[in-house]
Amino acid sequence: MKHVVEITLFLDIVVFFCVYAIVTLSLNFEQGYAGLFNLGLYFPVLAGALIVAYLPGRLAMMIFSIDSKLDFVADNAVVLNLLKARLASDPLTSIFLLIVTLVAVVGICSLLGYISAHPALKLSEDYLALFMLSLAESLRVIGMQTDWLAGGVMGITIVNPFWWLGSYAYYGSALLVVGSTVFVWFIYHRLCTSPLGRALKSVRENKLTAECVGKDVSALKKKVLAFSFALLGLGGALHALNTGAVVAEGYSRVDFSFWPWLMMIVGGTGNNLGVLVGTFSLVMMRRVMIYSKHYFTFLPFDVVWLEPILLAVMLGLTLVFKPSGILPEKPPKLDQYMQKVLRKRLYPKEQPSELLAS
Amino acid sequence: MKNWNSSTIGDERRMLPIPVVITVIVSSFLLSILAMGFTLQYITLSVPNLAYATIAFASTYISLTVALMGLSPYISAPFAFILGGLISLLLYRFMAYLRDRGATVVGLMISTLVFDLTIYGATNIYAGYIAYFFKTYTYSFSLSQFDFNFGVVPGILIVSTLASVTLVLIFHALLVKTKFGIAMRAVMENYSLASTQGIDTERVLSVAWFFVGGVAGISGSLYPLWFYMDPWVGTRTFISIFAGCVVGGLRSIYGSLLGGFVIGTSEILITYAFANVFGGWVWAYRAVTPMIIAVLALIMMPDGIAGYLSRARPR
Amino acid sequence: MMASQTQSNGPLDQMSNDETLLHVEHVSKRFGGFYAVQDVTLGVPPNCLVLLMGPNGSGKTTLINCISGVYQPDQGRVVFSSNDITGRLPHEIVRLGLGRSFQIPGPFKMLTVAENLLVCGKGHPGETFSGSVLKRRWLEYEDSLIDKALRVLQVIGLEERRDTLATELSGGQLKLLELGRLLMLDVKMMLLDEPIGGVNPVLAHSILSHIRKIREEFRTSFLMVEHRLDIIMQYVDFVYVLAKGSLMCSGSADDVMKNKELYDIYLA
Repeated sequence: MKHVVEITLFLDIVVFFCVYAIVTLSLNFEQGYAGLFNLGLYFPVLAGALIVAYLPGRLAMMIFSIDSKLDFVADNAVVLNLLKARLASDPLTSIFLLIVTLVAVVGICSLLGYISAHPALKLSEDYLALFMLSLAESLRVIGMQTDWLAGGVMGITIVNPFWWLGSYAYYGSALLVVGSTVFVWFIYHRLCTSPLGRALKSVRENKLTAECVGKDVSALKKKVLAFSFALLGLGGALHALNTGAVVAEGYSRVDFSFWPWLMMIVGGTGNNLGVLVGTFSLVMMRRVMIYSKHYFTFLPFDVVWLEPILLAVMLGLTLVFKPSGILPEKPPKLDQYMQKVLRKRLYPKEQPSELLAS
Repeated sequence: MKNWNSSTIGDERRMLPIPVVITVIVSSFLLSILAMGFTLQYITLSVPNLAYATIAFASTYISLTVALMGLSPYISAPFAFILGGLISLLLYRFMAYLRDRGATVVGLMISTLVFDLTIYGATNIYAGYIAYFFKTYTYSFSLSQFDFNFGVVPGILIVSTLASVTLVLIFHALLVKTKFGIAMRAVMENYSLASTQGIDTERVLSVAWFFVGGVAGISGSLYPLWFYMDPWVGTRTFISIFAGCVVGGLRSIYGSLLGGFVIGTSEILITYAFANVFGGWVWAYRAVTPMIIAVLALIMMPDGIAGYLSRARPR
Repeated sequence: MMASQTQSNGPLDQMSNDETLLHVEHVSKRFGGFYAVQDVTLGVPPNCLVLLMGPNGSGKTTLINCISGVYQPDQGRVVFSSNDITGRLPHEIVRLGLGRSFQIPGPFKMLTVAENLLVCGKGHPGETFSGSVLKRRWLEYEDSLIDKALRVLQVIGLEERRDTLATELSGGQLKLLELGRLLMLDVKMMLLDEPIGGVNPVLAHSILSHIRKIREEFRTSFLMVEHRLDIIMQYVDFVYVLAKGSLMCSGSADDVMKNKELYDIYLA
């Protein structure tokens, strides 16, 4: 029994790390590569969670012809019991629900990203950050006030697509998260180490020059936001699936925007590996903090308010002492590019040019 | 005097709109002053101050403390001014330090975030402490019962309107008539040129930030005299301030003044109108209204009111 | 100001309109009530070095911006290689073969010199979202791109600095990098805004002779804005003079320099 607890604890940390890795890698793609300043990172993350709260339940109710007088939110516990009874012995439908939901998440969030790109093109960097932040907070207000979406302020428990695994359900969802994270890492790695990554950095460095060397800056920004929003939504969806419940209030600016920002800056903006290092260190730190909370009960105030202060102090120290992060961005040498196309290393002169330097 | 506050308005659909009117007036004046100050800080460093609303609303707890000690909350104004001013000054010096070390816009905005989060945590810790000390509930509070009344008119209505108008007049006079004001305009227009003209640009900006922060503090200290204060008022109001600046014109001080007023008015009135048609549940979405207006403004009038007016001016 | 009666159209005299590579027709650009560029018409044939000169504030850079798509002209037309490019976006214009450099170089600061060049691959399959994930799709293009970059590095003399961040380059080196980027883009014509601005005379002549050689080898045309007439006059085939937003006169270098009105506009 103790082993199960230890494994679950371990998986807990792993899942937490994976979800944040997806979020920070997406943030790095937006900011570290494309130079899109997004402080409202939790907008698509929350959207993904809301879709997971809303869609599978309603779909399952339709599939199993559950009494339509019952409301998924108002009669949450009753409906979930009914659905669990059906889905626990129906892996096919469970997986179907899962796939449909994830496809919906990716689709809707990438659309949101594409739409959000339009103000992104009009606004300067600084106001873009504010705009995204305000947009995200507005969605959070909507999520907290709209009962039929995700239970409003109280939140709801959601359909678990791994009920058919019985007592191994948690392992199932953990495996899904880890697998997705590996996939996300692979995709971002490929994109960023390809000429696209280089092109995005050129847009980040100097939009006008990039435009004048043939890069369609507007189209690139739209695509970057559509893509990263889709994956951010996926992160939110996976987080919700693993938590088993969705409470919109929990997807706050501190949790899903400012902590990821710190993780990226501490790790190294513009460097995917650095971002992972930053994410790992801070996730571990936060887990330790959560487990040691009970040592602080002697304080006359709620210990939860120390968290933003800690975050602020770390941000401040990083900005002052190590703004480029643990693993700073390192532009590749030409040799490395040549190795990628499987050419031999470059020595002083390779071949004479027709145009001799005068 | 009945204890009206914004969160109870939606519950009564057939009531007189007088509390709504008072809410609109107080909210508009406070928001316009806040938006104006925000834009002023924005112009000086070309970086929006994310901590602005949090700094302003930190002073609500000074009013609370003063009221709990048995005094009139209005007495907190000078203390609020000093607190808001000092924090803003500190923030400015921190940002100037980073700027001189070559920080980017992103870095500078994150530095304002540092202050935002610190003050956010600190004010709520303080709230917890006075709850413990005074044995009272401070998570969500309103001080409207401590307000004086001028006949049937609540004091806050008079104070907020008078204070706002006076402030704008003083500000305008300062900017136009005094040496300091002219120096400040020079610095905002062209920092490097101003410094070569012998203006101590750092001192001018430090003083400007102190004053803006101080005024924001006073605005914050007045807030609970009509409204309910809770830990999330700062974030919600920040969105309204942002929307006010978008509507008014991002780099225009007087535009933001107007924009803040417009948002303060329309936020309540539009929500009230929708609530009357669709039901009281609409009030829960009040915070989303400024965002919708901001998005519409970006689409239809991207340069804001100020931009629109400057283009309409005859050549 | 009326165009001088003694103007000749130089190389344009012998050419019909179809052969003109770049044709700027009655282009005007206003800022508020002020005309930065007013009713300017000029042409640049292929394989030609043309100078655009004039005192400060005469609208030269504004005109370049109008041609290259950075500004939208309020009136007039710009035709390049039989394509109407008026008001099109800069990236579309570059893809058609018209490139430009900037008066104040705008390099990609945190990219290396080599990367600054590599990023200028036109239509790189690896720069699309779909293409970039599959390495095989863009390896070949990248290979030839690297080849080209190596050659360009030699031409502009920055091979030793290929892995240096652009932010560490000197002013003269940045000018060379601007040129290098345009070479990578295989453009038929280059709009150069002060290609030798702020550069020592030796390097200036070096840059200009490179430009001449590029023209000889690739038949590229150039429209150059420059102030340093003492250095550049000997290299150009044709000159346009802009004053207060309008075309004042044009002709071969000798003809223009003999024009007395020229000195008036510079001294005014």
